[in-house]
Amino acid sequence: MKSFENIDPKSVKEAVGLLQKFASQKKDAAVVGGGSEYLQLMKVRVATPDYVVNLKTIPGLNYIKEDGAGFRIGALTTLSELEEHKGVQEKLLFLSQAAGEAASPQIRNAGTVAGNLCQRPFCWYFRSASHVCLRKGGEVCYSVAGDNRYHAILGGGPSYIVHPSDLAPALVALDAKIKIAGPAGEKTMPLEKFFVSPQVNARRENILGPADIVTEIQVPLPKSGSKGFYYKARERQAWDHAIVSVATVVQASGGAARDARVVLGGVAPVPWRAAKAEEFLRGKKIDDGAAQKAAEIALEGARPMKDNVYKVDLAKNLLRRALVASV
Amino acid sequence: MAQKEFSVVGKATPRIDGFERVTGKAEYTGDVQLPSMLCARVLRSPHPHAQILSIDTSKAEKLPGVKAIVHSFNTQVQWASGGLTQKRMIFNNPVRYVGDAVAAVAATDRYIAEDALELIDVKYEKLPYVLDAAAALKPDAPKIYPKGNLSVGDGRVTAPIKEEWGSVEKGFKEADKVFEDTYISKHVNNAQMERRVSVAKWDGAKLTVYASTQGISNARGDIAKALDLPLSRVRVICKYMGAGFGNKNQAQDYDMMAAVLSKATAQPVKLEFTREDDFIGMHGRWASEQHYKVGVKKDGTITAVELNAITNMGAYRKQSGDLTGCDFYNIPNYKKIVSPTHTNTVVAANYRAPAYPQSVYGFASMLDQIAFELGINPYDMFLKNRVRLSKGKSQFSSNAMEACIVEGAKRIGWQEKWHPPGASKGVKRHGIGMALGGYPFRLGLGAATIRVNRDATAHVIVGVVDIGTGAKSTMAIIASEALGIPLDQIQLASGDTDVTPYSIGESSSRTTSFTGTAVIAAAEDVRKQIFIIAAPELKAKPEELELKDGIVFLKADPTKKLPLAKAIHKVESEIIGRATTNPALPEGTDGKCFAAHFCEVEVDAFTGQVRLTRYVAAHDSGTIINRLTATSQVKGGVVQGLGMAFTEELLIDRPTAVPINPNYRDAKVPTHLEVPEIEVIFVDSYDPYGPFGGKPVGEPPITPSVATIANAIFNATGKRFKELPITPDKILRAVQV
Repeated sequence: MKSFENIDPKSVKEAVGLLQKFASQKKDAAVVGGGSEYLQLMKVRVATPDYVVNLKTIPGLNYIKEDGAGFRIGALTTLSELEEHKGVQEKLLFLSQAAGEAASPQIRNAGTVAGNLCQRPFCWYFRSASHVCLRKGGEVCYSVAGDNRYHAILGGGPSYIVHPSDLAPALVALDAKIKIAGPAGEKTMPLEKFFVSPQVNARRENILGPADIVTEIQVPLPKSGSKGFYYKARERQAWDHAIVSVATVVQASGGAARDARVVLGGVAPVPWRAAKAEEFLRGKKIDDGAAQKAAEIALEGARPMKDNVYKVDLAKNLLRRALVASV
Repeated sequence: MAQKEFSVVGKATPRIDGFERVTGKAEYTGDVQLPSMLCARVLRSPHPHAQILSIDTSKAEKLPGVKAIVHSFNTQVQWASGGLTQKRMIFNNPVRYVGDAVAAVAATDRYIAEDALELIDVKYEKLPYVLDAAAALKPDAPKIYPKGNLSVGDGRVTAPIKEEWGSVEKGFKEADKVFEDTYISKHVNNAQMERRVSVAKWDGAKLTVYASTQGISNARGDIAKALDLPLSRVRVICKYMGAGFGNKNQAQDYDMMAAVLSKATAQPVKLEFTREDDFIGMHGRWASEQHYKVGVKKDGTITAVELNAITNMGAYRKQSGDLTGCDFYNIPNYKKIVSPTHTNTVVAANYRAPAYPQSVYGFASMLDQIAFELGINPYDMFLKNRVRLSKGKSQFSSNAMEACIVEGAKRIGWQEKWHPPGASKGVKRHGIGMALGGYPFRLGLGAATIRVNRDATAHVIVGVVDIGTGAKSTMAIIASEALGIPLDQIQLASGDTDVTPYSIGESSSRTTSFTGTAVIAAAEDVRKQIFIIAAPELKAKPEELELKDGIVFLKADPTKKLPLAKAIHKVESEIIGRATTNPALPEGTDGKCFAAHFCEVEVDAFTGQVRLTRYVAAHDSGTIINRLTATSQVKGGVVQGLGMAFTEELLIDRPTAVPINPNYRDAKVPTHLEVPEIEVIFVDSYDPYGPFGGKPVGEPPITPSVATIANAIFNATGKRFKELPITPDKILRAVQV
């Protein structure tokens, strides 16, 4: 780890001000919540910040507030707190489960909701100090010629990372919003728009500017009669990112879908909204045949590479399982 | 079986140092802090094969806090155990794999040492390289050594490894059917919890090394030889050790690096590997490509086995590279040729039962497949072909393999649960599998000293390091039993070459039999002296006395007794017994422990995920000295096999030759959630040559575990997976819903 200066701001405003100052000085500053993910990058010297701005010293960023419309989740809420929150378990069980699928118990106790959404890729080339890849300012995405068993089958190019978050697909399926504090004040936007595809910018995963800080996630309650699922396929039952995950929210009545949200994780550089599959499902009676057809549609346009062809079937199977369970 | 009643042997005894270990009071090597100690880090080659033209350390030296930098141009120290067939230095030029050590820096803290690594300017001339073992054996492959890439022999190891008995030609003629197939296993890391670490300090001409080693005596010998020091001037200490599973035997390069850096700076130096160093800088298990030809009768009886294999040893030959998984079967005609091969990849050497689990996976899969093709239940196939004679000729000193198979199958409910492979349909598919394993049981050099104090307490002094197996407790239990002094009256001293007697090294499952035998002999020596001293007190002859549970009494009349302290009250100092023993099995007798493993799996045909739902491990390890630690050994071995079966493989990126998953997260070492309750059975067995009838238990458990799981997956899916690890992608490709 390279030495750095740790800063403990007392307010979001102070933190934003500091980040603005460091940006103007062309200093590399990192915003850290739980730090469980960023620390790993620092240890292998992929991240070598001059300053680490520690959000943990800012009071009032750790909360889950419930009103009739839904939940507001403070950025520093830990994954464990989200997983174990009684109201969330009662009304959005699959979101609690998605939080519980992340990492390991120790990491969930430290890792935050905002940190989970802002984590950097777990691509082994990105995490390797010996590979100066596209995402780190280099020329190539090493996955193309290398070992791409865990890489993107959808939405890839020129970088083929997959977004590692377990929460993101579930939250996008719930039409969650994200609140960001920055130099121009606060703004709230759909979480889906928060993520950046590599075609737009291959060196970042989200729209956060150098002085922006995520402060809150807002989760509306789905329409009545909705059922949500989060299924994650993995090689190890703890401390393993999704090979493929699916988050679905289906509002059904009498076995037919009135509305559907289908989001895939582990398959694309961003949480992958399968809009055409959603459209197909709307108004359909959901049986195994319809679920299979929707899964086919969701994976249309998949462009697997030599080692990740299996992900196509895997995504279809998981989606089929989730949709059948939805009615 | 000739078993006797024991006082403490055979019970489930908590570790004597368990409290210290779980409360953080135990001082491991990484915890050692010495005044003005420096920290060191290692610079490693980014190239798979390159000549180093120059190393410029001037910028690094200017960094405040940097105290010394050593590399191949200023330090020539041989690492004897690092290369059996080549002269391997602690820094080599050319470098032969990504990870080969180039330089080491000592600085006032580890972060400065790491900063300094970035400032060292190394000029490389890249050389052609080869990553794949089969490709390395082709005539036009880049040569890593002048004689080529097939590792040469040196007397200690051979190449190719050849073994033959009977006549395979005859055996194949006698066969009703002959089967051929190829199985592939991958390089996996030992992944022990404690990273490699060494602390060196010099007091004048004497070097002390706090090591994390599986053998203080041979570590001392290696360091003394490497640095040209007399044995008396090297002291190696290892009081608590956080496991090695075979990759901390002897002294390793980091011990010598710490020593030369400490010499250069006249300050103590701690050299600690990072986890990445640990995955790439030392060694893992050798990968293999095993081609079998097996002849069988219609009833499944094996008539001949021919094995042709390549093992990938990486850039240096540290160990045999052998494959020995056929050991557990009765094979009348056998021929094996294994070619240990060099490639420009991470070195492969000892990892718990080095030549077994990958090889058992290949051969037991082969037999399971043959059983399927012949329409035989695998249980009958394994039972029928279980080994009776060692290497086709020698008797075993004891052999309870049959009991392992029968009792293990009964426990898991084999007859009720087995179904034809692939018969389980639907999304969640049930499978059951089994395989046989074990490990050699040997006798050899051991030494122990026992001091009995005048108050009837005792010190047992042995050179063993408890590498996590519970060896300290085992030695104390053996001493307690042999002395007749209660366990809580015994103190154990171990792990310091200036204080403790020789130990051959805590590897190869030999600590209990080698040093345990010496502890028994030392106890006999003490008891003789005690009886001479106690005889007048009890008005008896020495040979009429017995000592048990701390009481000296007349064998003929146990009511005539004295507490030991009273019996020896005239002793003013202490009674010292010692022994150096070196027994051997009789000519024509081989020793072996045996195991039969069984498991059930559930394969999710939608996701390719396999859940291990039940595991039964039945073992013949003779008399069990400590049922608690022995059971833990079995469970640990199974878990390591589980990792090898399901997830673990060191991946070398083909275009860049760089290992891309050298850490716990990406190597996917199993977590608790992967592990079901493992049911351990120790069958009734007594070996006439082992200490109190005991045989090893350290390495056997990992040997059949990979094959057991692979065979259960076959039973669940009807598909044979011939390459490890058996990951969801492979299952998804083979299994359709």
